[in-house]
Amino acid sequence: MRIGLEIHLQLPTASKLFCSCSTSGNGRNTSICPTCLGFPGSRPRLNRRALEIGIQISKFLECKIADTTWFSRKTYFYPDLPKNFQITQYDSPLGVDGRFHVGDKIIRIMRVHLEEDPGRIKRVGKSGEEVSLIDYNRSGVPLVEIVTAPDIASPTEARDFMTDILIELRHLVGLSGKDEQTVRVDANISVGEERVEIKNILGLKNLERGLSFEASRQAKLIKAGKRIIRETRHFDEERKVTISARGKETEEDYGYIAEPDLGIFNVGEMARTMVPVETPLKMAARLASKYAIDRATSRQIVMTSRTLADLFERLCGTIPPEVAAAWILGPLSSNRDLLENRKGDTLACDIERVLQAVVSGEMTDSEARLKINALGKGESVDIAAEGTEDGQLRELVVACIDENPEILSDFKTNRRVANFVIGQIIRTTKGKYASSEIVEAVNKEIERRLRKEQS
Amino acid sequence: MDAAFFERLKTLNKRYVLFSELVDKGPDDHSYGFHFSAKDNLCTSNFQTRAGSRILEGYRPPFDATPVRRMREAGGFLLGKTNMDEFGFGTFSTNSAYGVPRNPFDTERSCGGSSGGAAAAACLLDGHVALGVSTGGSISCPASFCGVVGLTPTYGRVSRYGLVDYGNSLDKVGLLSRSSNALSKYFPIIAGPDPMDPTSCPQPQLNLGPVEIRSIAVPQEAMENIHPDVRTAFDRAIDTLRDSLSVSVEEVSIPSMKYALPAYYVLATSEASTNLARYCGMRFGAKGGDIALHFNDYFSRVRSANFGKEAKRRILLGTYSRMVGFRNRYYLKALAVRQTVIEDYGRVLKKHGMVATPTMPFVSPRFTDIERMKLIDMYRADFLTIPPNLAGLPHISVPCGYADSMPIGMQLVARHWDEAVLLSAAGSWESSFKYRFPEAIR
Repeated sequence: MRIGLEIHLQLPTASKLFCSCSTSGNGRNTSICPTCLGFPGSRPRLNRRALEIGIQISKFLECKIADTTWFSRKTYFYPDLPKNFQITQYDSPLGVDGRFHVGDKIIRIMRVHLEEDPGRIKRVGKSGEEVSLIDYNRSGVPLVEIVTAPDIASPTEARDFMTDILIELRHLVGLSGKDEQTVRVDANISVGEERVEIKNILGLKNLERGLSFEASRQAKLIKAGKRIIRETRHFDEERKVTISARGKETEEDYGYIAEPDLGIFNVGEMARTMVPVETPLKMAARLASKYAIDRATSRQIVMTSRTLADLFERLCGTIPPEVAAAWILGPLSSNRDLLENRKGDTLACDIERVLQAVVSGEMTDSEARLKINALGKGESVDIAAEGTEDGQLRELVVACIDENPEILSDFKTNRRVANFVIGQIIRTTKGKYASSEIVEAVNKEIERRLRKEQS
Repeated sequence: MDAAFFERLKTLNKRYVLFSELVDKGPDDHSYGFHFSAKDNLCTSNFQTRAGSRILEGYRPPFDATPVRRMREAGGFLLGKTNMDEFGFGTFSTNSAYGVPRNPFDTERSCGGSSGGAAAAACLLDGHVALGVSTGGSISCPASFCGVVGLTPTYGRVSRYGLVDYGNSLDKVGLLSRSSNALSKYFPIIAGPDPMDPTSCPQPQLNLGPVEIRSIAVPQEAMENIHPDVRTAFDRAIDTLRDSLSVSVEEVSIPSMKYALPAYYVLATSEASTNLARYCGMRFGAKGGDIALHFNDYFSRVRSANFGKEAKRRILLGTYSRMVGFRNRYYLKALAVRQTVIEDYGRVLKKHGMVATPTMPFVSPRFTDIERMKLIDMYRADFLTIPPNLAGLPHISVPCGYADSMPIGMQLVARHWDEAVLLSAAGSWESSFKYRFPEAIR
């Protein structure tokens, strides 16, 4: 089975690709102008930011980037397309011959190019009296199209590929993961010789379902000795089937010519000087190999939050990576919202000191957890295992245990022996400390010594 | 510009059909310094902009084209929109949905095209300057036929923002008037970069002033198939240049000139066929009845009913040239030819200040003769104006003689961005050659 994907990703620029209209119009047909409505005499002007993002994506996908690039007109008639041609890229895409890794597999990227989105058609009115209304707010919104080679071997792999590439691209271009509308996929699938295109699939679940249905449809046809017709089909989300989109299928001739109004853009230099960005999955791979943790863990850390991943790296400087990973995915993860809001060196520094104390045996896990929760809430926390007051108390505890070393070995079998030390200290301090404080201090010191003994 | 002037203008327009839309009355205040007109393919907020086509009937743009805006800001009063071949498709201004403009020297003859109304307005209105547009010779040709001076600037010199596109890589906004003096005065107003048209942005500054021209090249390819009257007038003009203005003249060869015509028609129609796709009875312009039809049928109906014959022909030609299987043979080859033409001119203009040819191979024909002309001969009539247009080179057409009291034009071509050379040369020319005009209204 061979599957190739065409991914359309809306770019999060403030204005449209060829005019200064906002990409986030409130209310239908509010973010429009002569250019994105295709009025006679209007002209496109390229949004540089969109070009930069396109180059960034091409570079990330390890594409070859030419020194110059230009745009083309793809002519077809459709009511949502104001000029009845789409400004896209045909013979000079931003990037070609790239690749993307999914696990250990390489999916080749054929091309990456920029284009404008058409408007949006809405069918309204009651059944039988429906009319089509067009909202041109979307007309001219920048899209990046990524075309893969037919290297994907199954619907599941297609879904994995999409999951991973979207993680990376969303981070790369600064796109929120919530709006599924920002990603549309066309999929080409062939079980036998002839391929079928499934157009405009929204969402990864639908992608996998649509491909699965189509794969078994084609397999059945082949088994029955029937021919598969090269055609375009749509995925019906309700019925979970693909439906033939057109009666007779002829390859449409778009009559591409160069877009004369925009000229040629020198992107080679832009691409060369662009600083590469470490995307989440690249970071996960690096963490896994650098700190010798397993890939699933490193991916989980990075996917939980980037701030946590950065904190993990910092912690690895002073404490063992597997301990850091456990704390990152445990208590630190449950406090991550607070950590996100209070990014800053002092916080990371405090956390680091708490965990160092744990590792050195000066602090119990439960104590560290409490401190981390308090840090998460933004409370000021005494990082040292004990404060000044506690310091005096601790000295007394230490002295008492030093005088009675047998307590340590007895404690292993009978925790009550601690009461001897506790009683001693209550007597000597004469109510200076709450008995609960004394109990905690004694238990902690005994546990610390036992841990030390073990290691 | 008193009330009587506007009355005379209306009467004039009835006779010559210069304007497809004309102001009702003059301005209330007297702050305007001059009057001008705009070819009907330049967007204007206070007039319809129909580009000579029925498919844009009723279209009033929400903005002014940059050249129109700049003329207004410089104190110009816009008299109206001048008549033209539909979308610029023609040589005689006979392809307009809004009547056919009549030649000021003989109303039985053509004004030339496609800026026919603009040339006639420049000829008939004293002190008038007309905004024209040239894709393949649409300023030079009517300037020649109407006996006025027509300047087609370097491609990219004047913003095309607000110009209804014909062939975007070829379209140029220019000026027509009775003298090069007027052009020198108004050209700096419309020239210069405009952020609304990216192709106008990378241009060197315009500096007008006297420029000495030592030598002129005359391509031998331009001397074939020229009417004897035109040849005589042109030869005499060359003699004048040589003797009175002491310019050396050399005959040269520009072999690619003859390939410019087919290359132009491929490129211009390819671009035009995509530009005209937007006219489909939605959003602006003419509508076509039953919107319950499938969009394809609705679009076809609107387009069939409202595009003229020549527009349909060029849409078909252009669509064909772009199709898979023909694209390489026509469209891409035409792009290569354009490059060769640019290089050939470059070689000649390295040595010579200008290239001179007649503008048109004949004087303005009678409408009865045009009706009998074969289409291919109409296209071929542009064989001298198309090469500089294809190359994006600035050129000017000046009257250089008269035959049967009809004007004959001479076309001068200069290096890219050298409009100063053309205006200076035309100024010198006017010191030794007197133009003739019919009586003007003022």
